[in-house]
Amino acid sequence: MSKMIRTAPTTAFQEMPDDNMIICRCEEITKGEIRRAVYDGFRTTNEVKRWLRCGMGLCQGQTCQRNFQNIIARELGIPVAELGIITGRCPVRPVEIQTFADEVVNAEEA
Amino acid sequence: MAAEKRTADVVIIGGGIVACATAYNLAKRGMTNILVLEQKEIGNGGSCRNAGGVRQSARDPRELPLAMHAVSQIWPTLGEELGCDVEYVQKGNLRLGIEEKHRTVLENHVKKSTDVGLDVWMVSGDEAREICPAMSERVLCASWCPTDGHANPLKTTLGYYRRALAMGVTFVSGVTVTGIRKVRGRARLVETTDGVYEGEQILLCAGYESRAIANTVGIDVPVERQFNEVLVTEACPRSFDVMIGVAGGEFYGHQSDHGSFVLGGNSGLQAFESNRRTRFATDSRTAPSISRGIMTYFPSLANVKVVRTWAGAYDQCVDVLPVIDRISEVPGLTVAFGFSGHGFGIAPATGVAVSELLLDGASTTIDISALTYDRFKAKG
Amino acid sequence: MKRYEMIIVGAGPAGLSAAIEAAALGMDVAVFDENARPGGQLFKQIHKFFGSKEHHAKERGFRIGEDLLKQAEETGVHVFLNATVMGIYDEKEVMVKMDGQVVHYKADTVIIATGAAENMIPFKGWDTPGVIGAGAAQALMNLQGVMPGKRVLMVGSGNVGLVVSFQLLQAGCEVAAVIDAAPRIGGYGVHASKVARTGVPFMTRHTVVEALGTDRVEGAVIAEVDSHFQPIPGTEKTLDVDTICIAVGLSPMSQLADSAGCQMEFAPRRGGNVPVVDEFGETSVRGVYCAGDVAGIEEASSAMLLGRISAAHAAVSLGYLDQESFDQRVSSYHASLGQLREGMFAPQNRGRTDITQTDEGFAISQSLLAHGYVTEEELKAFPAAATGKKGIHPVIECTQNIPCDPCQDACKFGCIKVGSNITKLPVVDPDHTCSGCGMCVACCSGQAIFLVDETYEPGFATVGIPYEFVPYPEPGSKGTALDRSGAPVCEAEVISCKAARAMDKTALLTMKVPVEFASTARFYQA
Repeated sequence: MSKMIRTAPTTAFQEMPDDNMIICRCEEITKGEIRRAVYDGFRTTNEVKRWLRCGMGLCQGQTCQRNFQNIIARELGIPVAELGIITGRCPVRPVEIQTFADEVVNAEEA
Repeated sequence: MAAEKRTADVVIIGGGIVACATAYNLAKRGMTNILVLEQKEIGNGGSCRNAGGVRQSARDPRELPLAMHAVSQIWPTLGEELGCDVEYVQKGNLRLGIEEKHRTVLENHVKKSTDVGLDVWMVSGDEAREICPAMSERVLCASWCPTDGHANPLKTTLGYYRRALAMGVTFVSGVTVTGIRKVRGRARLVETTDGVYEGEQILLCAGYESRAIANTVGIDVPVERQFNEVLVTEACPRSFDVMIGVAGGEFYGHQSDHGSFVLGGNSGLQAFESNRRTRFATDSRTAPSISRGIMTYFPSLANVKVVRTWAGAYDQCVDVLPVIDRISEVPGLTVAFGFSGHGFGIAPATGVAVSELLLDGASTTIDISALTYDRFKAKG
Repeated sequence: MKRYEMIIVGAGPAGLSAAIEAAALGMDVAVFDENARPGGQLFKQIHKFFGSKEHHAKERGFRIGEDLLKQAEETGVHVFLNATVMGIYDEKEVMVKMDGQVVHYKADTVIIATGAAENMIPFKGWDTPGVIGAGAAQALMNLQGVMPGKRVLMVGSGNVGLVVSFQLLQAGCEVAAVIDAAPRIGGYGVHASKVARTGVPFMTRHTVVEALGTDRVEGAVIAEVDSHFQPIPGTEKTLDVDTICIAVGLSPMSQLADSAGCQMEFAPRRGGNVPVVDEFGETSVRGVYCAGDVAGIEEASSAMLLGRISAAHAAVSLGYLDQESFDQRVSSYHASLGQLREGMFAPQNRGRTDITQTDEGFAISQSLLAHGYVTEEELKAFPAAATGKKGIHPVIECTQNIPCDPCQDACKFGCIKVGSNITKLPVVDPDHTCSGCGMCVACCSGQAIFLVDETYEPGFATVGIPYEFVPYPEPGSKGTALDRSGAPVCEAEVISCKAARAMDKTALLTMKVPVEFASTARFYQA
């Protein structure tokens, strides 16, 4: 993460006509909520994710990350590369608790 | 463009919930000339990586004043204060037992807590199931503290940050603190990968990384990094409001406002992982271990899908209690770390206490006199 | 814990190729794939691939998949299906969900070949049913036999958008338009041309701004964009469609690499968040490789080579290959990969707009880039596309340097030459005589070769075109000849529709048209 100095915004939040457009479908987070989060001081992919839940749903950001990163980058006027990425986490596909609990440590010879 | 801010009344090292809550409390009392230095992202450590427990039960009496103050004075109205929903739910904490030996453990906790005036009592398995019908018939007994609860750590930590920022506090992220330097007898300079910052006072609250930084001014507190993991499920219809813990230690957690279950624990193998790990990586055995714990107590969650697991590290202190103190031998330096994996629930009170240490020289609202930095004694 | 010498995640082109390479060298290899059938995206690919013979050129994707599977079986690879790798941990421990359990495996080497997922672009109503990914449309049509819609707007003119548009037409859908926000068509010109000549309009500098309808798509509003890709107010047009197909690129599914601790980077040209890899695909975690789209979006042909390269590197690290053999083997793979990475569509040229000439110095068709077809005027620059010869002869309307050469092997008389640099444009040798067999027409994966005979009958010519629509028209049936833009030009009579087995379902449809249309008639509409 490169250095970021964060201070209170000095101008009022500007609404945009397409602010009600859904960006993260799993968690139903809109463009306006993401823009507002950036205005409120959240400056990285993970900060916005933790504040709003975008990228925390079933897709784990595979679909929405790119789109909400583009919004953050545009609001901040910085390249997407500086925003960091959602951490790839196990399980990369959803798995039932009972499956997770039923563990085979020594698989038989295939 | 104004010159970059490099000096402040207080330079805070660390950008977690203690830093954000303290900055907010300082700003609330009119001090906004504050610099918060964060290595990565706001709340990236244990502050955003915990299961959100807000409890007084099963706490060491020495930190209970913080917990009781937080629960009675701050949590109920924190959302209003910060202008965001921190998802605080005060629907009680059940600590469950499924074996006779658990009863003894729980009774012990209950006694310790009631001794210091907390309303906690033992309930039978059936009484516990009445409070939380989702649980297994195998639950024999539980301790019950109706004033406990849970909240959303992400919203709380970042909510404090957002308010502090709006009130005029300056945060700088992406700088790593390498040490503290004294000037004419007082801790004053904070050395970083981005040059030097200067403060009339310095607050060190950087979790387990605080130890090495404190070492640079000759102070050592016995804290070590420990890992825990949490698994988060898909959103489900509301099943229970209580915070759950188990005497056997297999898991703990709650169902969040969003509907997902947030359930944490460890495999029992992690204590010896701390020095090997270089990142917040989950290990292969923990999530299955937590899952088996869930299946034992909540078989009704069998088909709920886990969507992610994550690891968090916390600053385990040798006596499992934080150090919150002005360092008398290094004037100008105040520390607050070593929360040992249960700092989230008391963080709002910690913020008040630490702000008083910085502004008034002593914590007057909350008794933290047992949490001194020089309390550690050899056993022999 | 059960340990394999190599665990491969993903049984797509990269994963299966890696498995075959490693197993053939004697390694104990397991491949896990979350799907019920292996092959990855190959099984949706019903079109013929580009490249040269060693890259399986002119074979259809699903056949390549079948072939890889057969080889994997023969080399003793353990392929586990319905087996989802959920995480990769320290010490190369791989956790797999299979049969309602999670199974732990260890590996000496791991190759992550998880591929990529489709990008979506947000616009008003983009979450309305009927807005689907192009890959999803392909899966519906080619795997499930379901038409995604009746009338489709294709958003995106990269190869995926173009290939899927053509497949939609083959499935019997109408394609209302192919649009792209960029000022030029992104994919191969030949892919665009085969869509354009059926009458599908291309609109560059256009984006979709709204999906109409509440419960399902009932139309699409598109608009022109300015140089910052922002819609220009007042340019909106409504298209009557029931499906909006999104083909705006792919993002690597690189989460497993991240979870394994591999250093990641944001590399837009490789598709987004990708692991940092060396020339062998090895990540920052020793012994963990990433091969194929997961490490950077490319074609399946490249993925197959990348899988082999990673596997060979793993083999040398475990002593299954000596250094000299490794060097030899990998340098040939790298050379082969180099061939695919040449030309104006090479990864290093992605996004470039300053390429105005082919390697041969011919002016690149601007009409092709803007509208999807080359104008007759522009074609005059390309000798292989010349008409006006006596008797039947090939007319090759291949005007961009793309890595492909099956045409030169197709003609047993040696009439067509590409040479060893497979991105060169084909040259028609005037000294050889064309037999009119049509193999070149069928072998051209870009469907850019036509057989023209302007001396067929007094006043009439025949034009032989590649034809992949069923049912084939009967000889004697009459229809309309369309030009390269899809505009009707004249009446056409089908002389024959020939589909020999070797032509692999690309028929040679020969139609009779008035001789003055010999150089314009390029498609037959029944």
